Amino acid sequence: MLEIKNLHARIAEDGTEIIRGLNLTVKAGEIAAIMGPNGSGKSTLSYILSGRQDYEVTEGDILYNGESILELDPAERASKGIFLAFQYPLEIPGVATMQFLKVAMNEQRKARGEAELTTPDFIRRVKDAAEKLKIDQAMLRRPLNVGFSGGEKKRAEILQMALLEPKLCILDETDSGLDIDALKIVADGVNALKSPDRATIVITHYQRLLDYIVPDTVHVLYKGQIIRSGDKALALELEENGYADIIGEAA
Amino acid sequence: MAAVQETIDQVRLIDVDQYKYGFETVIEVDKAPKGLSEEIIRFISAKKQEPDWMLEWRLDAYRRWLTMEEPTWARVEYPKIDFNDLYYYAAPKSTAGPKSLEEVDPELLKVYEKLGIPLREQEILAGVETPRVAVDAVFDSVSVVTTFKKELQKAGVIFMSISEAIREHPELIKKYLGSVVPTSDNFYATLNAAVFTDGSFVFVPKGVRCPMELSTYFRINEKNTGQFERTLIIAEEGSYVSYLEGCTAPQRDENQLHAAVVELIALDDAEIKYSTVQNWYPGDAQGKGGIYNFVTKRGDCRGARSKISWTQVETGSAITWKYPSCILRGDDSRGEFYSIAVSNGYQQIDSGTKMIHLGKNTSSRIISKGISAGNSNNTYRGQVSINRRASNARNFTNCDSLLIGDQCGAHTVPYIDVKNASAQIEHEATTSKISEDQKFYVMQRGIPEEEAIALIVNGFVKDVIQQLPMEFAVEAQKLIGISLEGSVG
Amino acid sequence: MNMQTTSRLTAAETALVEAFGAQIGELPGNGAVIGTRDRLLDELKKAGLPTRRIEAWHYTDLKNLLRSVPDAALVSAIDPIAPLVEGSKVLSILQGAADAKAAVDGVEIALFKDRLADGSAVAGLTALDKDDAIGRINGSFVRDGYAITVPANAELEAPIELQALHAAGQVHTRFPVSFGAASRATIIERHRSVTEDAAFVSSISDITLEDGADITWIILQTQGAADTHLGQIRVQLGTDAKLRLFVINAGGKLVRQELRIDVVGEGAELTLRGVNLLGAESHTDVTLVLGHNVPNTNSTEIIRNVVFDRANGVFQGMIRVAPDAQKTDAKMSCNTLLLTDDGGFSAKPELEIFADDVVCGHGATVADIESSHLFYLMARGVPENKARAMLVNAFVAEIVEELEEEKLVEALEGVISAWLEKHA
Repeated sequence: MLEIKNLHARIAEDGTEIIRGLNLTVKAGEIAAIMGPNGSGKSTLSYILSGRQDYEVTEGDILYNGESILELDPAERASKGIFLAFQYPLEIPGVATMQFLKVAMNEQRKARGEAELTTPDFIRRVKDAAEKLKIDQAMLRRPLNVGFSGGEKKRAEILQMALLEPKLCILDETDSGLDIDALKIVADGVNALKSPDRATIVITHYQRLLDYIVPDTVHVLYKGQIIRSGDKALALELEENGYADIIGEAA
Repeated sequence: MAAVQETIDQVRLIDVDQYKYGFETVIEVDKAPKGLSEEIIRFISAKKQEPDWMLEWRLDAYRRWLTMEEPTWARVEYPKIDFNDLYYYAAPKSTAGPKSLEEVDPELLKVYEKLGIPLREQEILAGVETPRVAVDAVFDSVSVVTTFKKELQKAGVIFMSISEAIREHPELIKKYLGSVVPTSDNFYATLNAAVFTDGSFVFVPKGVRCPMELSTYFRINEKNTGQFERTLIIAEEGSYVSYLEGCTAPQRDENQLHAAVVELIALDDAEIKYSTVQNWYPGDAQGKGGIYNFVTKRGDCRGARSKISWTQVETGSAITWKYPSCILRGDDSRGEFYSIAVSNGYQQIDSGTKMIHLGKNTSSRIISKGISAGNSNNTYRGQVSINRRASNARNFTNCDSLLIGDQCGAHTVPYIDVKNASAQIEHEATTSKISEDQKFYVMQRGIPEEEAIALIVNGFVKDVIQQLPMEFAVEAQKLIGISLEGSVG
Repeated sequence: MNMQTTSRLTAAETALVEAFGAQIGELPGNGAVIGTRDRLLDELKKAGLPTRRIEAWHYTDLKNLLRSVPDAALVSAIDPIAPLVEGSKVLSILQGAADAKAAVDGVEIALFKDRLADGSAVAGLTALDKDDAIGRINGSFVRDGYAITVPANAELEAPIELQALHAAGQVHTRFPVSFGAASRATIIERHRSVTEDAAFVSSISDITLEDGADITWIILQTQGAADTHLGQIRVQLGTDAKLRLFVINAGGKLVRQELRIDVVGEGAELTLRGVNLLGAESHTDVTLVLGHNVPNTNSTEIIRNVVFDRANGVFQGMIRVAPDAQKTDAKMSCNTLLLTDDGGFSAKPELEIFADDVVCGHGATVADIESSHLFYLMARGVPENKARAMLVNAFVAEIVEELEEEKLVEALEGVISAWLEKHA
């Protein structure tokens, strides 16, 4: 489903190279975990996959279902099913959450040539998904993410994911700032979406989240490259020994 | 000991009870007759042995000045100045022009020693590297000495009094003088163009990093004498210079006028750092006497990627009217303004900056900290202007005022003009009093109130102090403490 | 120097002087009022319209910007329109003339022209200071309006809409409104043109909030693309009074809205919100002079501006804290989305502070749409143009959402989205 080939990318503003020849393949149905120390390029990778303009790809390609997505803007990528759950979901004052959800769902449907949702249908979907994630209706009446606690923001991200039904989910440090109960709710939400035609990339610092979202593959990102790949056992190994050994081997 | 340390020690030693620099020196002077006329201008020009074109330039400015009116928009009040009741030229008799240290009147050297200004060219102690400062000392209307000239010459840097430069480097003066602050700029700048008597000239050639800090020390000594100095600094492509300026005057009951013009020019990739510690006599506790400080300072970032940075610590003067500005003409150029303005007694400060963004990708940063105490009024007035063609301009302004006591005023008047959609402008300002919580905390640890305030104030101004060269930072902090003495009721 | 410049009148100044001459004998007022009118016009004639040399008019050089003034000729009947908020009590002023039959239960309403005729309006006709051009123009020419008294303890359920509609020509209106102690009310002051032809409008609202009054006052200016609108609101806030003042500009060619607010009672609270939607070739200036004159008062001011096309916007906001006004808490911010390289925005947020125990601050920003917000919306599949529109709308709608009355919020949001749809 996703094939990243020899990707090089840098920060547009100052030219700092962050991704330096990264290769990664994620198949449909797969849950791939990307782990790595701070500053290894994890969040940058998630932004580049979703099309943030602050980064420039200088070499290599990103193929999604066999087609390069480098020329697509974030909205076009989203309509093709790429979803990024932000590490720090933005507070956007003045934009009502419900209005935002409706516009996003319908725009994606429009882009895919599907009919727009009727208002009752839309409300029913939101209500169902919110209940599963234990999201209070009052939260949905507020402006987008404004005044949400850290945990509420993360749950709201998963709610959006459930409603938008993406094909490739990228979870950027979704576990950060969550207590164990919130973590379980979020993980349940993610697991509920698991299906043979959907791939998930879980970006995380700690193995803790991987107890709840069990990965098929684990990749270690360091200095903009995948320096080691393996299965769930690799995550446990990292938990036990830290990154130093693996980094040492790669160097 | 290094010059710098010596300066600091001097400052420490001087009695901190009152204005420390209020002494007067009895020195024989050569004065022009009182008043302002074409004759006086001819007199000044002749004294300086200036070429004819310079005299014409001055007369031109004078004639223009006669048609101009004093600006009234600043928040300062003072009785009308009788410009014919001033002396426009006063020079120590023994000093016909700058010469070597050996020839300088020992009385004058004593003045500078007393002020803590090192005029000896200290040797570098074996194995110990200490920063050195080259000094141009301006006493009333003339530069009395410029140190380290020879050593600077080796690096290709020209550092001399502007009077000398007019004679020795007319081509540079003709090219650059008045090119940033035109003679028609404003009332005081035009007056300065007509009657300026001395000041410093700095020229840093292409690719040269000036090997030491340059500094000018201004002293007004004579009674009823205006000081009109003119400074011109040119940094050619890829060069760097850091320049310091200090000022003091004796304690007098009459007001004295200081109307300077400073022009900076930075060509491609050049950087000029200009720091001022202004400690003119502020007047006594009742507001009697003190210097009227009406100054025009402007830097032109003429070249691409050039940078001009102004840092000022203003503790003196009865009235300050001063807006060190940057014209960001070159693409990717950058302007900075860091200011601490402390007012006490009956001082009036109206100061700030202008950042005029003309080139693409230009950026500017303004950090202003105003502290008002006593019966003073302290106004920040600043302009950020983004030209229609100045795409991707950035400005950040932070402007905080602190009030000590309920008889003073703190005012903030920013002007923000934006004509390009890609600009990003951020301005924030706050006014508050010293936090009682902070003061209580510090005092609870056994620190007396006045010191507690000085400590907190120093924290408040830290962002700006950090911009000063080390040797000035210590002096500046000390000065701020001294200026606020007596502010606790 | 040429000292003759001040005595030469511009075309607009001449037109005003001539219009005054033409209306002598027609303008309502007793001897005292007529004397005041003469004096104000004389001052106007002497000072001329303000130029940028006058600090208060630094960014709105009225002498230069006001090219002409349409004839004062009265135009045929205009019909009232539906109120902004359903159920409001409408007091209409059509082409500057109030309705003699207008009435609202529990509120005293008089015609301003009667107050002029009996001379009781004379005290209020003065200019506030030497640069008060609007005070002078309005004082010279005002013909009518409503004088409203809301009695103490009155609680008005429905909003009152001051519906000022006009066609081309000159219109000068005035609304002295006094809110009694502990009264509660919502007033919508609405200025709107019904034609595309140029009109010259001046309007002053002179409002007093007695102790404990709790008032929402909305100024909605949707003049025509050729109109000049000179508005002024003078406010006195009494002890523990609360005023929510919302100023929305979404029209006009040359607009100046002056907000002259004096907080004179302890415990008073001002909430000022402004939305300026600027498009076409317009010039819009909102100038606030707010005096915190007594201890323990607070205020917040938020102004949001969106600039399209060749429009120019100005916000001047002066907060003055008097020497005795300890414990003043005043916070002002002015945020602008500048979406064009052909227009511009100028901000001058000023603090003038003479008391030490205060917390005052202001912020001003000018920027394009926040790129991270845009990315977030696009990452959810919202196309760029739609995402931009949503963010621009949110930027200003956020302000009106602070109002508690839901119907009012909806109506104002409607005004905003309609304007944005037309201009964006």
